[in-house]
Amino acid sequence: MANRTGRVLHEAWAALLRNKSRAFLMMLGITLGIASLTAVICIGQGTRDRIMGVIATHGLDMLMVRAGAEKQIFAPTADRAIASLNEADASAIEAEIGNVVAVSPVQNQRGLETIFQDKSIAVRVFGVSDAWDEIRRRSVGRGEFVSQDDMAHASKVAVLGYRSAQTLFGGGDPIGQTIRVGNEPFTVKGVFSEVGASAGTEDFDDRVVLPFTTTSRRLFKRKYLEQIVLQVEDVSRMKETADAVRVLLRERHQIRAGDQDDFFVREPKDVKETALGTSSTLTRLLTAISAIAMLIGGVVIMNIMLVSVGQRMHEIGLRRALGARRRDIAGQFLLEALSVAAIGGLLGVALGAAVAAILAVKGVATSRLTWVPFAIAVGSCAVVALLFGLYPARKAARVDPVVALRGKQA
Amino acid sequence: MIELVDVTRRYQKGSITTDVLKGVSFRVAAGEYVAIMGASGTGKSTLMNILGALDQPTSGHYRLDGQDIAGMDDDALSALRNRKIGFVFQQFHLLERTSAVTNVLLPLIYRDEEMPDAEARSIRALEAVGLGDRKHYSPGELSGGQQQRVAIARALITDPALLLADEPTGNLDARSGADVLALFGKLNDGGRTIVLVTHDRAVAEHARRIIVLADGRVVADHPVERRRDAAEAVAAAAAGTQGDAATPP
Repeated sequence: MANRTGRVLHEAWAALLRNKSRAFLMMLGITLGIASLTAVICIGQGTRDRIMGVIATHGLDMLMVRAGAEKQIFAPTADRAIASLNEADASAIEAEIGNVVAVSPVQNQRGLETIFQDKSIAVRVFGVSDAWDEIRRRSVGRGEFVSQDDMAHASKVAVLGYRSAQTLFGGGDPIGQTIRVGNEPFTVKGVFSEVGASAGTEDFDDRVVLPFTTTSRRLFKRKYLEQIVLQVEDVSRMKETADAVRVLLRERHQIRAGDQDDFFVREPKDVKETALGTSSTLTRLLTAISAIAMLIGGVVIMNIMLVSVGQRMHEIGLRRALGARRRDIAGQFLLEALSVAAIGGLLGVALGAAVAAILAVKGVATSRLTWVPFAIAVGSCAVVALLFGLYPARKAARVDPVVALRGKQA
Repeated sequence: MIELVDVTRRYQKGSITTDVLKGVSFRVAAGEYVAIMGASGTGKSTLMNILGALDQPTSGHYRLDGQDIAGMDDDALSALRNRKIGFVFQQFHLLERTSAVTNVLLPLIYRDEEMPDAEARSIRALEAVGLGDRKHYSPGELSGGQQQRVAIARALITDPALLLADEPTGNLDARSGADVLALFGKLNDGGRTIVLVTHDRAVAEHARRIIVLADGRVVADHPVERRRDAAEAVAAAAAGTQGDAATPP
């Protein structure tokens, strides 16, 4: 019983508790609306998680730009010196194309001799930027990947494929050791985790990865690239992004209309596009249903409140006689609506999350509860309660105490 | 304390105007116990609504405790009712399923300041009307007479300048009615200003002064020569009837 507003809120709660069945009916519509909305959001989030998981493991958010026009099946037959792509193209893509999170130029050369002490292997050597491991989703098991600093200073550091490290160092620790690549000394900075034979056709475990600046200036001593890889933010706009890259590169390479590209943009299979597409159609439908349920919930609140104003004439008249201002009465009725909606909304979140969790357990759908349904519940319940509570509250406030007190006691 | 100067009240319903009060003037000094009498349709209820600041005169002046209520806005009237007037209604008007203590402290809700002592004041008011042992009972668990005493405690909690009672015994049996009138007598003996509105002469004669209303005018205003003794009435009622019909289990 702190201040007047607090006491009016207390009165609102007391009034709700005096008539629990009325309060229950008031919250029913809201609860069901929020419950269905919550279930939709949880399942939607679960589906998104699953798709994002697929994208993450398979790198389906990656676009690869290759030098040369032909649609090569996989690994370009390296060292054919197609000089159509260069570092400036990579920078331009990063600077000018939207929906691009990260870009890395890629240079590579096969069969470079790599030596540690008395052991020697011939491996494929890559020059990439510090963003490349993110884009290709290659994790470094020991040590670290190429850093921005390494890029800036064209450092002589190397990250080894799992098998390359095994061959050169056996059981020993490669980190910090000096190896020779193409007769230049490099310090081993990291070793990739084992990928295994199943991942694609390239043998990823047998390679050496160096900073791009180092390969272009010090080792390969050339400006042209074999590839540019880039990661897109919104995979549903993959196609647009690929087209934008094509347009940009054609312009940069001054290819006239009708002439063939001197590069090739490879897009990942668009499975996730369809997956995300169908789930969002379903989501939109269920969201609409939830919105209708909320609307009905609001109308229910308004009707019950209007009936309640009629039934509680004596109470309203009494409160006015005892000194309640019109806004105290309106405030009480509005706070009753808000409180009911808030409790109804929270119950709805719990109910909806439970339904989604049960569906997940049954294997019908995947589900994840986030803060989103809570935020939507709080927001939409407040809006519904204010929208539909205002009219009855005003009506209650405008009751003439003389008339209200005169009627026969119910 | 109370001063009415040529108060009129006109109601307009479509093209029909009705003058319910046609120039009512009287004064009530602090500490008086006045009964306003009149048959129904004499403007008694309208006068009572104006005295209670629930309604405004069409013309004339009504001063309560030095304040002229003419021209006050709704908020000011609400505040005035809260501070200056204690209402007692025929139908008690208690909140159902709500304890006596909570019912009694209701007027203190509508104040801007903090009210840390609200409950203590409520309990004191209930003790003053002899219900200190029933403070946690809800209206459904109390007899009619007890309910009206809870309502009187609610009227007294703000220590109002005027206790305004509208047919306070109208819904009570003889015994409980006599109890309530005895309580009014005691409160007036303690200095409380009371205005009681009734159609019943037997009830009115518990007051010290009677104002009679007829056709929207004061037709008589005189002291009560032989006041009825509430204690006697209580005894008579006890002897004549089986007692309070709604005694709780």
